[in-house]
Amino acid sequence: MTAPAIEINDLHKHYGAFHAVDGLNLRVSQGDVYGFLGPNGAGKSTTIRMMLSLIRPTSGTIKLFGLDLHNNRNEILRRIGAIVERPDFYNYLTARRNLELLGRLSGADVSTRSIDHILGIVGLASRASSKVKTFSHGMKQRLGIAQALLHSPDLIVLDEPTTGLDPQGMVDIRDLILELAADHKKTVFLSSHILPEVELTASRMVIINRGKAVVEGAVQDLLNAGRLKVTIETTEVTRALEIIRATPLTHHIQSHTDDKIIMMMERDEIAGIVAHLSAANIPLSAVSPVRSLEEYFIALTQEAP
Amino acid sequence: MIGTAYRVEMSKVFSKWRTFIGFIAIGALIPVVVAAMGIEGGQYLGFATQALQQTFDFTGNLMNGYTVSYIIFGMLYVHVPFLVTLVAGEILAGEATAGTYRLLLTRPLSRGTMVTAKFLATLTYTNMLVIFMAALSLGLGVSLLGTGEVVVIRSQITIIAENDLWWRFALAYGFAAMSMTTVASVAFMFSSLVENAIGPIMTTMAIIIVMTIVSAIDIPMFDFVRPLFFTNHMNGWKFLFDDPVNWTKVYTSAGVLLTHIAGCFVATQIIMRRKDILS
Repeated sequence: MTAPAIEINDLHKHYGAFHAVDGLNLRVSQGDVYGFLGPNGAGKSTTIRMMLSLIRPTSGTIKLFGLDLHNNRNEILRRIGAIVERPDFYNYLTARRNLELLGRLSGADVSTRSIDHILGIVGLASRASSKVKTFSHGMKQRLGIAQALLHSPDLIVLDEPTTGLDPQGMVDIRDLILELAADHKKTVFLSSHILPEVELTASRMVIINRGKAVVEGAVQDLLNAGRLKVTIETTEVTRALEIIRATPLTHHIQSHTDDKIIMMMERDEIAGIVAHLSAANIPLSAVSPVRSLEEYFIALTQEAP
Repeated sequence: MIGTAYRVEMSKVFSKWRTFIGFIAIGALIPVVVAAMGIEGGQYLGFATQALQQTFDFTGNLMNGYTVSYIIFGMLYVHVPFLVTLVAGEILAGEATAGTYRLLLTRPLSRGTMVTAKFLATLTYTNMLVIFMAALSLGLGVSLLGTGEVVVIRSQITIIAENDLWWRFALAYGFAAMSMTTVASVAFMFSSLVENAIGPIMTTMAIIIVMTIVSAIDIPMFDFVRPLFFTNHMNGWKFLFDDPVNWTKVYTSAGVLLTHIAGCFVATQIIMRRKDILS
């Protein structure tokens, strides 16, 4: 059986009385695109820094590819490519020179040809000879992705990889993540604030808050769980409200306007409501169930103690 | 891996403008000093030996290339430490300032290897600076002012014959390199503690100034600590121009300097191994 790409057990990081990470457990299978979500200050970056041995855990264990990070640091890091928060580089060097030096330190045989190839993938081929100090934030972000892929790692850790990118850049990176997982069998650990990004790319995800995992599972399962926000559009709101209130279903009306009712309900209750409204000849122009990760995320992180 | 890390560090050091400030400063200063000594050196030497000339006759080319090199040596104390700290103080703190620790320390090389590679790069730069100074002052001095004996005036007057000078200069420059390496090591250690290169540069220079002042104040309570200050041993090269050479003093000074170098290196290793990279 293949060892998990990431296995974190009871991980803690304390700064005095403040617990940045507080008993976190994680398990990421090889080949997964794994979303790592949490509000600001939830402990995401601290966890990533501990996974990359940038900071030392107060307690707990981190295993990558079945190897203990503390005892096998170099062997593990040889198999990881990462962007941690801001993409910072040696500004006085060119993009190509930065990658050459980082490639040498990665312990892989990184040729000039492969550097140029990777710069092409991230759309920086024409700026390979420009000094990084002339780059915009988005270009540095692309270069950050290039350096993470440089030595063909098995696990790619991306901390907010699309920050600062234009819409096309975001789509490109999203496609690249999917391609890395599907075609190259890479494991991608994706920390992001842009929730649709995780929704569109990750197969599994964890939401952490205050240093603890709040929920973990397959993205689609988590999206389908719980109640949905449903918007019903009609020209007869008053009558529709009367009918809805009279039904025995467990709905909850959140708000309404002259032509719209917004309510929370279980997914399997939608058909029943629509049937009741249709039977009463209420003209429906739209019934839109919305179950976004964004709402789920906010609900969970607000519920957490 | 240490070889690769060292070459990468050297490549970075010599891609920065600040690295060349030291070479430019020395390259500009030494020709001026040599030219000035060539034009007015006789008066300078006459003033320095004014009292002696009432008793002795001085003949020959006393203001020669070797004498100029010896005088320039004395300037090491003044400006080279500052030039050394420009690079040594930045080599670790610069990574923190730029946020590139995250790039560097997520590579498969241990922190110990990274620190060692950076330390070796610092030593290489420091020694290149001293060698450049030696080559320029001796080369320019000898080619413009010729050769001759060197009159060394300390607690005693020593006139060192031309054929007795080369080995002294070679050892003296070796000693000077060790002195500057000590300064570099102190700046290197402070560089591991902070996230801004200005801090280590200023702190190292402040330490040199404070130690020099404390050493100059003749108060008995400082007698115990004074021999431990590295600044008191940085001019140990002067003992090599005594006749006979006081090797005990040379070895003692070298020992103190080497202890400081080793201490700073070990301290930096410990600091960096324990450091959480939060920048």
